[in-house]
Amino acid sequence: MANALFYLMALVTVAAALGVVLSKSPMRCVLSLLAAFFCLAVIYLLAGFQFLAAAQILVYAGAILVLFLFVIMLLNLGAPGTADRIDARMFSRPNVVLVFLVGGALLMAGAIAVRKSVPIPAGQDIPEHGIDSISALAGEMFGRYLLPFEAVSMLLLATAVAVVVLAKRDRGPRNSGGGA
Amino acid sequence: MTVPAEHMLVLAAILFAIGAAGFFLRRNVIVVLMCIELMLNAANLSLLAASRMHTLEAGVTAPSLEGPLFAIFVIVIAAVEAAVGLALVIALYRNRQSVNLEDVAELKD
Repeated sequence: MANALFYLMALVTVAAALGVVLSKSPMRCVLSLLAAFFCLAVIYLLAGFQFLAAAQILVYAGAILVLFLFVIMLLNLGAPGTADRIDARMFSRPNVVLVFLVGGALLMAGAIAVRKSVPIPAGQDIPEHGIDSISALAGEMFGRYLLPFEAVSMLLLATAVAVVVLAKRDRGPRNSGGGA
Repeated sequence: MTVPAEHMLVLAAILFAIGAAGFFLRRNVIVVLMCIELMLNAANLSLLAASRMHTLEAGVTAPSLEGPLFAIFVIVIAAVEAAVGLALVIALYRNRQSVNLEDVAELKD
């Protein structure tokens, strides 16, 4: 049952990822990405990562995609008529040949890996509370990985400042006319 | 779930390839950023598959926590990247009235 659900979710994830790449309108890309993230969260849950599944929904679907949606609506790019015309050239011959070469190599590697894989015996499964119990994660994060944690928090602070500076409307003397 | 880790890794590889293809082929900056998110998710999935494999090998008393930890860091980096990228998109649109990568190719020639 859980295995069938995994393969179903994997299929839907790949289809949604293809939708992100192939959709003309950015709005449809965002919705496909949302579907892919939800399916990935289900896969995390099945694999025994409960906290990561929750974080995936909260941060990716809840924050990052809303940011994308916000920018698309702010710049008014969602209408189907605004689909960029140059995207029609993405199926030019060199591109298609490249994609087929890389995809073929990947499929072959995948087939070899899948043929060599051994299924996990049914009795040996993940613990009831999942692999990433929050207390164990917190112990590691504030113990051995304290320095990366602090580095990431500094990065977040710097980002908050940088984004405000980048997105601020430039009201310099040149725009207001005249100058000093 | 008794799916072997290799199947999860293959799914991650397919997702990464799709994201990379979109990154190289699309011309809309916002879609390119979405493709980067897709690739980061594939990296997360492979980290978690490795963590699961090691946990099942070592037994449930010693779960391998490096995978989920680094996946959390990757999620944070993805959020940071999306915020900065979209701020750049807004600044770009303000200057050029376009989000098409073909219109900002001055450095190419």
